[in-house]
Amino acid sequence: MRATRPLALAAVGTLALSACGGGESVDTGGGGGGGEDTLVAAVSAQPDQLDPHVTTAYASFQVLENVYDTLVVPDPEDLTMQPSLATEWETSEDGLEWRFTLRDGVTFHDGSEFDSADVVYSYNRIIDEELSNSFRFQNVESVEADGADTVVITLSQPTPNLLERIGSFKGMAILPENAAEDLDLTTEANGTGPFQLESSDASSTVLTAYEDYWDGAPSVDGVEFRYITEPAAALTALQNGEVQWTDNVPPQRIESLGGDDSVQLETTPSVDYWYMSMNYDRPPFDNRDVRRAISFALDREEIAEAAWFGAAEPNQTAIPEDSFFHLDYSPFERDPEQARQLLQQAGVTTPLTMGLMVTDEYPETVTAAQVIASQLDEVGIDVQIEQLDFATWLDRQGAGEYDAFYLGWLGNLDPAAYYQEQHQTDGPNNYQGYSNPQVDELLQQGATETDDDARKEIYDQAATIIVDDVSYLYLYNPDVVQAWAPGLSGYQIRADKAINFENVELP
Amino acid sequence: MTGAPVPPPDAPVAGQGDAKGTSPGPTTLRPARPRWRETLGLLARNPTAAVASLVLIGIVLMTIFDETLAPQGPSEVSVEDRLQSPSWAHPFGTDDLGRDILSRVILGAGVSLRVGFLAVGIALVIGTLIGLLAGYYGRWVDDVLMRVMDMLFAFPAVLLAIAILAVRGAGSGNTALAIGIVYIPIFARVTRASVLGVREEVYVRASRSVGASDFRLLTRHVLPNAAPPIIVQTSISLAFAVLAEAALSFLGLGTQPPNPSWGLMLAEGRGFIDIAWWLAFFPGMAIFLTVLCFNLLGDGLRDVLDPRQRTLMAGSGR
Amino acid sequence: MVVLAGVSVIVFALVHLVPGDPVRLALGTRFSQETYDTLRERSGLDLPLVQQFFTWLGGAVTGDLGVSFRSGDTVTALIAERLPATLTLAFASILVALLIAIPLGTISALRPRSIIDRFATVVSQFGISVPDFWMAIVLILVFAGTLGWLPSGGYVPLGEDPLGWLQRLVMPAVVTGTVSGAVITRFVRSSVLEAIGADHVRTAQAKGLPARQVFTWHVLRNALLPLVTVTGVQLAYLLSGVVVVEIVFSWPGLGQLALQSVQARDYPVLQGAILLFAVVFLIINLVVDLLYTAIDPRIRR
Repeated sequence: MRATRPLALAAVGTLALSACGGGESVDTGGGGGGGEDTLVAAVSAQPDQLDPHVTTAYASFQVLENVYDTLVVPDPEDLTMQPSLATEWETSEDGLEWRFTLRDGVTFHDGSEFDSADVVYSYNRIIDEELSNSFRFQNVESVEADGADTVVITLSQPTPNLLERIGSFKGMAILPENAAEDLDLTTEANGTGPFQLESSDASSTVLTAYEDYWDGAPSVDGVEFRYITEPAAALTALQNGEVQWTDNVPPQRIESLGGDDSVQLETTPSVDYWYMSMNYDRPPFDNRDVRRAISFALDREEIAEAAWFGAAEPNQTAIPEDSFFHLDYSPFERDPEQARQLLQQAGVTTPLTMGLMVTDEYPETVTAAQVIASQLDEVGIDVQIEQLDFATWLDRQGAGEYDAFYLGWLGNLDPAAYYQEQHQTDGPNNYQGYSNPQVDELLQQGATETDDDARKEIYDQAATIIVDDVSYLYLYNPDVVQAWAPGLSGYQIRADKAINFENVELP
Repeated sequence: MTGAPVPPPDAPVAGQGDAKGTSPGPTTLRPARPRWRETLGLLARNPTAAVASLVLIGIVLMTIFDETLAPQGPSEVSVEDRLQSPSWAHPFGTDDLGRDILSRVILGAGVSLRVGFLAVGIALVIGTLIGLLAGYYGRWVDDVLMRVMDMLFAFPAVLLAIAILAVRGAGSGNTALAIGIVYIPIFARVTRASVLGVREEVYVRASRSVGASDFRLLTRHVLPNAAPPIIVQTSISLAFAVLAEAALSFLGLGTQPPNPSWGLMLAEGRGFIDIAWWLAFFPGMAIFLTVLCFNLLGDGLRDVLDPRQRTLMAGSGR
Repeated sequence: MVVLAGVSVIVFALVHLVPGDPVRLALGTRFSQETYDTLRERSGLDLPLVQQFFTWLGGAVTGDLGVSFRSGDTVTALIAERLPATLTLAFASILVALLIAIPLGTISALRPRSIIDRFATVVSQFGISVPDFWMAIVLILVFAGTLGWLPSGGYVPLGEDPLGWLQRLVMPAVVTGTVSGAVITRFVRSSVLEAIGADHVRTAQAKGLPARQVFTWHVLRNALLPLVTVTGVQLAYLLSGVVVVEIVFSWPGLGQLALQSVQARDYPVLQGAILLFAVVFLIINLVVDLLYTAIDPRIRR
């Protein structure tokens, strides 16, 4: 057909031309680990940018975890703070001065030597430029070098959790002096970590091993973080051998993958917690009895089972079981009868309508919300689920335009992180409007108490009151779920979900 | 049927000759019998379209009587019963929260169809009005209106819908609004093209010369005769509206849980396709079937309402 | 031109009407007020809207679409990065679509109500009625999962790995191509039918020209017009990014970028992307118009 041939030819021609262009990405082993010894990890999102002091996206930190270091790091097993770029530290008598001794023989990826000037530069950058994590340095008055291998941090008040503040994740990474002027940190990196950044584009981010890493060169030649949003595709890629690691495992697949020989699945409890919060500005949710009624009406087991297929531990407090600071306190046994009584007592006429804000940013919460709705329906509360995209959700939370919302706090390591900002009067994250002077006092004490046992006492008391008052309605701690190729060794799944490949060996 | 019935022609116009309709002639011939009856007759002769219409009527009936037909409520959560494959107790199986899928599919028909009809209703009314005015009055009215339509049209449909939903908030009503707005330009264009054709027809010009008012002309002559392509477009747009609702729900923007819209069920079932295929399969089939029927109906209507083909068929049928 | 101006206003207005604060979203859930204020000021979001609009517009006219709020890259760089993937998929899909539509539509028009015609109708109905993401996931499960013939997604540039490029292109192109093909088939069929019945064709037949020549010359030529139009529309649609297919196949195209920028309220990127789509749409319209005049001599007059 004469008329169509030119059209078809043109189409093919353009096709070929367009395909040749673009793509600076080095697709090492396009079919999955081909000649080179590269680990291909399937992650569900693309990093937004690579400046560790600016980005807050988990996707970025999956990469940055392997590129940068902090002074201290959480231990993979029990999450206690361990030496990293700092080998030892000591606190002054009054607790206001911390001296960190820095490690010898550490070099950045460009070969330059690491010393105290880099630490001073990095921390002051965060503080002076009001970058994303500057709130962690709230109590820091100054950061100074004392010789090339010592850094002195002076505080305005004793801060027992300082180590956690400066080391819980790579948002406080140590950059080389003047890094922001020398590099475009959003797309380039120069760190002390086990891998160096090779490239990052719309398909994947590629890292190559850094031979001179202070803790020994990694066993693999490199890591490719490939973005695969669709779980079915990610899991298929893993089973095919196209990728050797993924965290894109939806809860309902846990059972079937557990029995699948082509995949090694592991779970571990995480440090995250999920909760429901009610708006104190909207009666009758300012009534303690109403909130307690709701707490009595819920079956946390069923919620965890439905939304997470059992990969979550119901918990009526925030801190998970494995932590030293865990408090075993569950006053709310499921009791619809008592719930109804409490509602009556509070003078509430049923059916009571309650809007519940959830975001599809976390799809399991949408499922959980539907279970909650059916449970609350039994006691006369009519839940209207409002599924919003995250940006709108945050807006409304900030503006107080909601009856109740459902979200979580992720990556918490220290009890202050679990409780302080959210339950202190006028705390920065106290959106619900809770205010209890007793709790305030306890939280203040806990923030400055240096003895761990005493701290636990204090936080136990605070937690008890917070739970009884239902400032937050705690639901559960979900598990971390990851899967990788059988025979992959040297990788440890961590409760704080940090992804570290420095010791990985491919099968 | 979804289109408005076409009113029978009124006063004879000079120069048209015998209006008994015994012989195929120029396309402006007015049939002797009321048009809609002839339409139905011709349609009935097209088996696929006939079947499609019957199925659609069935679906609409199902929507009306949904509560009685559905064996269970849509939100009866029962976690122990979840993810059961189809059985006598649950002919379509249960979903991840133990809800009966058959009931949800039946009840979902109402949600999906309501969104579809509302969306197309919005697009139809506004788009046709714009197209009518643009086509009939021409010149600057046409220019301005069509430019605005072009601006809307140049927007990628999905993004426009997403943006509108982001502004207004999710939910069935807003989804219908978003889809409706996206479809306005198409209706405007189709109407305008059709009106342009009819505007120059002899009977229109003649009526105008006799002094009939614009309004009367538009409503009694132009619109009814320009109607056929609009009717066809309606049917086709209904098909796409149902698909669009599914896609938007898939992206998390459409109907809110736990309302059982088909699109939402498909989105929820997407994560279970390899372990529980029935979650996505049945709503998917429902969407497919409904959309198919709307398209087949549209095709049938097009075959019947296109004057050229109509006279061919009418002529050959005797 | 007017359309473009109108679109830019609508884009800007719409994008800023959407609730959701990009600064808040970027900072996550834990931050201090000073950090918030600083970031907001730094990205120019505290300036009055009208001023922001004209700044953006002024830049856009000279080719500077601004800087992504989320990643710090220039918008032009971000778009350019994803352009090859989108172009590849769009043209591959059109190819698939035409390969389906032209033979199927023509043959079914030549033999109306035959088996082929019925088959073509079924295929085209199927293509239009099936939800594309559903088809996409099923294909992945079958061809990448069960059979293991094809990789499950991703994109590799042609220059690097031709086989890999082709393997990854097959499934997405089939999904979008089938849908477009279904739409185009119907147009081909009806316009060929129309062309066959047209007066000048009968005239040519009456003149005694050989059937083949009548067919190719007159019929196709006139059937081509609606085909060109509808192909243009489909191409514009495909170039604006088929979001859902891109997500399912991890295809790093413009649709994904647009969706991400909506979710992140990354105004510069979103505005830039939509503006680009509008420009593409207008260009395609222009090309279609030009092709019209080339094909149909009557219009040229």
